[in-house]
Amino acid sequence: MIRVSHLYKTFRVHRREAGWLEAVRSLWHRDYRVVEAVKDVSFTIEKGEIVGFLGPNGAGKTTTMKMLAGLLHPTSGEITVGGFVPFEQKPEFKKMMSLVMGQKSQLIWDIPPMETFLVNKAIYDMDNRAFNQTLEELTELLDLAPLLDKPTRSLSLGQRMRCELAAALLHRPRVLFLDEPTIGLDVHTQENVRRFIVDYNREHETTILLTSHYMGDVAALCDRVMIINYGRLLYDGELSVLTEKIAPYKRLEVRFSRLPNVNWSGYGEVAEVEEGTVVLRVARETAAETAARLLEQFDVRDINIEDPPLEEVITRAFQEEHV
Amino acid sequence: MIRKYIALLRMKYIEMLAYRLATFVWMTGAITQPLITMFVWMNIHPEESESFLFYFIAVIFVERMTSAWDVWELDREIREGTFSNLLLRPLHPIHWAIAENIVYKWLFLVILVPVWSAGAVFWPALRPHMTGSRIGWFLAAVVLGAALRFLLSYSCGLLAFWVTKVAAVYGVIDVISLFLSGRIAPLEMLPPQLREWSEWLPFRYMISFPIEIATGAANRGELVRGFAIAAGWLLVLSAVLQWLWRAGMKKNQAVGG
Repeated sequence: MIRVSHLYKTFRVHRREAGWLEAVRSLWHRDYRVVEAVKDVSFTIEKGEIVGFLGPNGAGKTTTMKMLAGLLHPTSGEITVGGFVPFEQKPEFKKMMSLVMGQKSQLIWDIPPMETFLVNKAIYDMDNRAFNQTLEELTELLDLAPLLDKPTRSLSLGQRMRCELAAALLHRPRVLFLDEPTIGLDVHTQENVRRFIVDYNREHETTILLTSHYMGDVAALCDRVMIINYGRLLYDGELSVLTEKIAPYKRLEVRFSRLPNVNWSGYGEVAEVEEGTVVLRVARETAAETAARLLEQFDVRDINIEDPPLEEVITRAFQEEHV
Repeated sequence: MIRKYIALLRMKYIEMLAYRLATFVWMTGAITQPLITMFVWMNIHPEESESFLFYFIAVIFVERMTSAWDVWELDREIREGTFSNLLLRPLHPIHWAIAENIVYKWLFLVILVPVWSAGAVFWPALRPHMTGSRIGWFLAAVVLGAALRFLLSYSCGLLAFWVTKVAAVYGVIDVISLFLSGRIAPLEMLPPQLREWSEWLPFRYMISFPIEIATGAANRGELVRGFAIAAGWLLVLSAVLQWLWRAGMKKNQAVGG
């Protein structure tokens, strides 16, 4: 569905030192710096996949996404989305995709969301039946009924995001680009939005590429992740494989009735010790065995074996040159 | 396309109603400058008060009907990145601007025509002396003027892909047009050299030309010549707009997000 090969994007950025004299100087002497936002990125995404696109701020995620959506011309390289070349901006292409930006609203600000929906209905050539049916479905899934006739500017961020998703999905896009869809939302609303995205993907086999800062989004939504930093693609593959590669250990959280005075290094690497609880990092293969030893040797009240937190894995991945 | 325009017009109408106060201020604010200019001229040439009265009321009408604010809209939308939302949709963003122009100008028309008519009842000087066909030419010239101003404003707005705060550029053009379009004084009062330039530049056809038709100042020959030059500018500005659009799309940085 999405094919990207050897994609590059460079920007020429005007550079100016801070300060008043520099400001005057820059009036006639402009320094430019070339920023390579995306460097030699290639990947393929099949129909119906949900892929998480991860990277720190300024890594090149949004730039890549804007090229996929046809807003930016690539400097070089090739992109096709559903057989279309995005920057040619063909109407047929625009009808098969949607881009939702958590930071930007496509809803018309001073009038109710329903008005935006009606404009989209006409612009995307939807017939009455398809429109009403989709709207009904989305209204129910996203609980939009009380929001449709309030001016967009008076909606809360969470309410607006739900309407934003509806506006993006009304024309039933086959490809959905979500750029930080849960940014700024409270935990409960994030959860709702995630559940909606998963259900929607299952039901309609929509291909979804998602960027997010919240690891919760990625863990809940994506089996496959792509990690980008400094414009380069560092990793493309299953999330579980990444975890194994980057952090080949399990976390053993052991709570004792009374913390025994033992040298824990015989069991694993100590991550934390506090008030009757020890957290150990233990090699994956030996995790079960170590847990058994602990249970046998000490008065253990509770034991927990889990994967290292995703934040930790991703932060480590960002620091690697190549994963 | 008609269906799309109906939806856009409806939406722009509702949006306009959400900005009632702004729309009102905008409407009345634009009237102040020609009115003051009119009083200045009436003071200088009291013997020609009546023709100044008609001229400047006509200026108010034509100026409102041909006004273009697209440069400010585009400047803001491109600089803040909201333009991307229009670009993502399968309809050229220019249609949103055209629909907005139609809605606002319809409102101006609905307000100004009754006001002018009511004025004409009390002041005979405000009564236009136009035959049926001249009214037709007048309206055609107003529409042409609106198209010219729109194209100029939208083209300038597209420069926002290259420079920030492009409205400043338009400000300079606007000052030139103040004199060469007949907003400060009827073009016949300009020095001969400027007057000749004004005939070949597009500004005259944005405001003065329709008024010259209404006052009868333009004879048949001038009418034909005027429409020909204006149509020429329409083609030139359309071509410029298309070129800027294509180049701008390559340059677009789709800021924000």
